[in-house]
Amino acid sequence: MTSEQRPSDETRIEEPPLSDAELEAADRDDSAWEQEMERRHKGGSADRRSAVSIRDLGIRYNLRLTRRTTLKQSLAGLVRRSEDVKQTHFWAIRNLDFDIHHGDNLAVVGPNGAGKTTLLLALAGILAPSEGEVEMFGGTSTLLTIGAGFDGELTGRDNIDLAGAFLGIPHQEMARVTPEIVDFADIGPFIDAPLRTYSTGMKARLGFSIATSIVPDILLLDEVLGTGDQTFRAKSQARIRELIKTAKAVVVVTHDLGYVTEFCNRAILMERGSIVAEGSPAEIVSNYRERVRERKLIAESEAKRFASGTSG
Amino acid sequence: MTNPPSDALRSTVRAPVQRRSFFGLVLDGFFELLNRRRLIRYMVVANLKRTHADTVLGQVWWVLDPLMQMGIYVVLVEIIFNRGTPDYPLFVFAAILPWKWFTIALGGGTGSVTGREGLIRQVQFPKIVLPAAAVVAGTVNFFISLIALALMYVLFLDRLSPWLLLIPVIAVVQFVFSLALAIALSAVNTFYRDVQNLLGHVLRLWFYASPGLWSFQDHLQDSPFLRTVLGLNPMAPILESYRNVIYGNQDGTHAAPEFFGLGIALAFSLVLLVVAVALFKRMEPAFAKVV
Repeated sequence: MTSEQRPSDETRIEEPPLSDAELEAADRDDSAWEQEMERRHKGGSADRRSAVSIRDLGIRYNLRLTRRTTLKQSLAGLVRRSEDVKQTHFWAIRNLDFDIHHGDNLAVVGPNGAGKTTLLLALAGILAPSEGEVEMFGGTSTLLTIGAGFDGELTGRDNIDLAGAFLGIPHQEMARVTPEIVDFADIGPFIDAPLRTYSTGMKARLGFSIATSIVPDILLLDEVLGTGDQTFRAKSQARIRELIKTAKAVVVVTHDLGYVTEFCNRAILMERGSIVAEGSPAEIVSNYRERVRERKLIAESEAKRFASGTSG
Repeated sequence: MTNPPSDALRSTVRAPVQRRSFFGLVLDGFFELLNRRRLIRYMVVANLKRTHADTVLGQVWWVLDPLMQMGIYVVLVEIIFNRGTPDYPLFVFAAILPWKWFTIALGGGTGSVTGREGLIRQVQFPKIVLPAAAVVAGTVNFFISLIALALMYVLFLDRLSPWLLLIPVIAVVQFVFSLALAIALSAVNTFYRDVQNLLGHVLRLWFYASPGLWSFQDHLQDSPFLRTVLGLNPMAPILESYRNVIYGNQDGTHAAPEFFGLGIALAFSLVLLVVAVALFKRMEPAFAKVV
């Protein structure tokens, strides 16, 4: 299943560098994975049970309070309140309405600032809806959590407990998965040394192992990540695939369009906080690339006009 | 990699944040605090290990720090201003220990939410554990620093009183009061970082306005107005009570805590705590958007 041999070549794109070589290395003997992906590609969402149901979702940022307002600015805002009411709020996403079903491997693509990450944070329950609702039929996990909440003075083992407590995982469950985490992170006797003595790579490996130790029903991925050196990256890619396979549904936010066409079975294109297109990965990717090209042309012609305008 | 999905991560409906009722918010907050005791404990342990971990003397500073602070006040008040009361070192020491706890709890608590920005945008967890853990860490710190108090009694053995056993009772009142303030301040500080900058100065002024370096017994006899105003401060009965049980009266006799004042302070603190938890829970949904 190398990328060159794939039949759907009209959707091949050049821009993002594919890490396929590494993916393949991790994947070589994983034929179950291939079958599973094949099944998902063919049948689409054969199992129509909802995993996530999003109804009229909107998330609004209050610009007056966003980013370190000082009392002075806020008081100034109070004085001027009547004039610029319109400017105080910003809808990062609005009127989103869609379902994610069991078996879906959904890619969310779009330019920067389209609201992709906000959507993912809403699915993870980190951002509360300002409007509408999100219903999750199962537990979620983001692989955003790598290394979050680590404490340098605690040992690796204590940090595993701390991370588990932040994630709300019961103690017995944590005790059960800890040997597996330690084993996978492969940091040897350092596991009982304070985290500040770790190298960056060791920290990243430990974080990854914790983040992937609990298998969620709905897996949320912000970019498909690889961590650490070559060997560990292959290992981690394999593990992510296993998570994807086990999860009832997967949502990936990514700029890697090659990944979208290859591993997803459904895609949505977002722009300025709304869904502008939804469909098969191939359609969406070509649609997106079309839009990017158009925008580039417009920008170029404008630049030209501007250049000639100033010179003439 | 064959773990079943964890039930703890299973979530239900997430409707928009409706205007939850005041008591709904309060119940949510207290429920989360009780439910996440283990997380609070881990955070406290991490906090305690971190304190002074990078110094040569390490944990010795827990005891040394209040002793040195006492030394400064003794020099200042007894020698420079020449105004000390008998056994003044023990007199100030009775205020330094609880006040150190108070500043650690409020200082750590106020910055506790803003200090965890990264985590708040990555993991969904009840944020109220953050100020709570800071206050609990300060409390543990206080009880450890009582070792320094034991050392002081080597010099002032005749002032050792059975009322000392009531220190935990006074500490309960202080704990509730600190927790209420820390929870409220941590939420407000998320939106107005000015709070953190102001806090140090406010705390210093507050200490001088509280009966720590002085006592109502020998000051302000002729200004009933000031006495009343300064007496409204919940830290006033708390500090006076600590001094009663640790130092006693000036003539060296033992004294009981100010039970009446403590009772009022406790009632006030409990009301404040309920309001603070509601305020925190009301502001919590916006934290991830602001930090």
